[in-house]
Amino acid sequence: MAKIARKTLLKLYEDMLLVRGFEQCLEDQHRRGNVPGLLHTGLGQEATLAAIAHALRPTDCFFPDHRCHGLCLLAGSPGEKLMAEIMGRATGVCGGRGGSMHLADKNVGNFGGNVVEGAMMATCLGPALAWKLRGEKNLSAVVIGDGTVGRGEFNESLNLASTWKLPVLYCMVNNQYAISTHVTEAHPTANMSEIAAGYQLRTAMVDGNDVMAAAEIALQAADYVRSGEGPFFLEFHTYRWQGIFSGDIRDPEEVRRWKQDLDPIRRARSTILGDGLASEDQLSALQAKVAAKVDEWLDFALQSPPPDPSTALDHVYASMEVFAP
Amino acid sequence: MSEKSMIQALNQALHQVMASHAEVYCLGEDIGKMGGDFSVTRGLLEKFGAERVRDTPLSEAAIIGTAVGSAMLGMRPVAEIMIADFMTTCFDQIVNSAAKMHYMFDGQFRAPIVIRAATGGGIGAGPHHSQSVESWFLSVPGLVIVAPSNAYDAKGLLIASILDDNPIIFLEHKALYGTKSKVPEEWYTVPLGRASVIRRGSDVTVVASMKMVHEALAAADELAARGIEAEIIDLRTLRPWDKKTVLDSVAKTQRAVVATETPLMGSLASEVSVVIFEELFSRLVSPVARVGAKDAPIPTAPILEREILPDRADIVAAVTALMADRQPEGVAHA
Repeated sequence: MAKIARKTLLKLYEDMLLVRGFEQCLEDQHRRGNVPGLLHTGLGQEATLAAIAHALRPTDCFFPDHRCHGLCLLAGSPGEKLMAEIMGRATGVCGGRGGSMHLADKNVGNFGGNVVEGAMMATCLGPALAWKLRGEKNLSAVVIGDGTVGRGEFNESLNLASTWKLPVLYCMVNNQYAISTHVTEAHPTANMSEIAAGYQLRTAMVDGNDVMAAAEIALQAADYVRSGEGPFFLEFHTYRWQGIFSGDIRDPEEVRRWKQDLDPIRRARSTILGDGLASEDQLSALQAKVAAKVDEWLDFALQSPPPDPSTALDHVYASMEVFAP
Repeated sequence: MSEKSMIQALNQALHQVMASHAEVYCLGEDIGKMGGDFSVTRGLLEKFGAERVRDTPLSEAAIIGTAVGSAMLGMRPVAEIMIADFMTTCFDQIVNSAAKMHYMFDGQFRAPIVIRAATGGGIGAGPHHSQSVESWFLSVPGLVIVAPSNAYDAKGLLIASILDDNPIIFLEHKALYGTKSKVPEEWYTVPLGRASVIRRGSDVTVVASMKMVHEALAAADELAARGIEAEIIDLRTLRPWDKKTVLDSVAKTQRAVVATETPLMGSLASEVSVVIFEELFSRLVSPVARVGAKDAPIPTAPILEREILPDRADIVAAVTALMADRQPEGVAHA
């Protein structure tokens, strides 16, 4: 069983602060009109994102969902290039073509967000098969949500990955709501891994707001997948802070409880202080360091030019030989 | 050079590319043990093994998703969707994933996949096994649609498609699988995106693809007997289509009929016609005519299917109408 050193908690704590700082900065910029289109944040889900990132290696690949800015960041993409991308700038990781929902960075194994829910459950099978064919012990991770279970690809993907024993790590971020629909209104159980288990693959559930527990099991799951035994379906129970575009239909007391009592950062902080891993002053310094980093990234993004309109047609085709002269 | 059916030509292409390119593999329903619903993949499993020739469950989205994802790591998958009508069940993977990937990720990833699918009507297979699907994909930037009309082109185009870096839908017309032509044993490619002028004529240009090419050839024989010389263009690649070859021909003949097996609304026939109008309006001596399927699903009963699908008689009628200015008085047109 993979065990995580207690001091790793400090690293995970810093990771969570980075994600929160990054997302709060973006929310603010979105309000100011500096982020085009839609912005889905991972606020409230920082522990789950930090745990997934902790389990991935640079040689793995992952498919991030629409609340995965934080995972892309923690996987190693430069924060300034992610922020620039989300703000539609030329210096972004995808030159401004992808934006918030389609972040990709080949350098860190980020194989790109496709936010038609379920689509990536099909696509993630491909790298897994390629590695299996080549005998490389890497994994293909895909981040999905409770809402994704409703899609046909959920069945197709779990069925094929389990039958072919593909190295896929399914990261089920169960944040309990698909826009306005509660998980129990859309599915026969609130635990998505119970549905996945029918496909004869390994599953586990974890408190996705307990960063140490989540990181430990994510590491174990990743090791299992890399061993070639088959896919693993890991379910994180968590909660998103962000409401929906027209307001929040959720019970205010429920929202308050998750944002305060169950806040993953507050919980980690309390453990760190209780165990004497760091002092209040040290944690304040860490917070200031993170804030300064995010400020730098924002400055970079704001100072970056928008994409050149004359490049709008670049990359439609990977090879232009199909066009007659 | 021996005569081969389109099935044999496609099969040889797959054998040759898999032998020379380790990154090529095949996946699809019943392509291994059974050799494919139409025998196009026959013998591949025995030759290349179950790792590279993969029978899949009935999971079209997973088939295309697997193909796309593996292509991101440098593989060159050839996915078979048994019947083109079933592409509805993997439409998202084709349109939102394969076609957009290179663009939306700023060139970081390519999706060099080939999706082979048996398309078209004329064999009494009914509403879910007879459709011509190219219209569904025409307005998707990033996709290439290849559609051979004969065995020689089928082999060369399939090899070229597998080696190309774009996602490609490769349409194989069911009614043409058995048609034969001379096919060299050796490896060769036919260039993508290039149409072929398969019959020369000076009076009218007929633009067609797949089975409609054969209908156009038959129509041309009939027209020739009446003194009308039709020039026939086989598009071979439907997206992007070869504007230059089409426009050069119509500039010469000044008349055009564009034939497709799909319903006309939103079809390639409509698109090609409009481009001819836009580019050559002042040179035309008559309006461009379109020939296509009637606006209905494809029924099973052969007599009904024939009623819906276009054929040589429709092309003859369309050309005759265009040539009205050259007909003696009193000849009725369609």
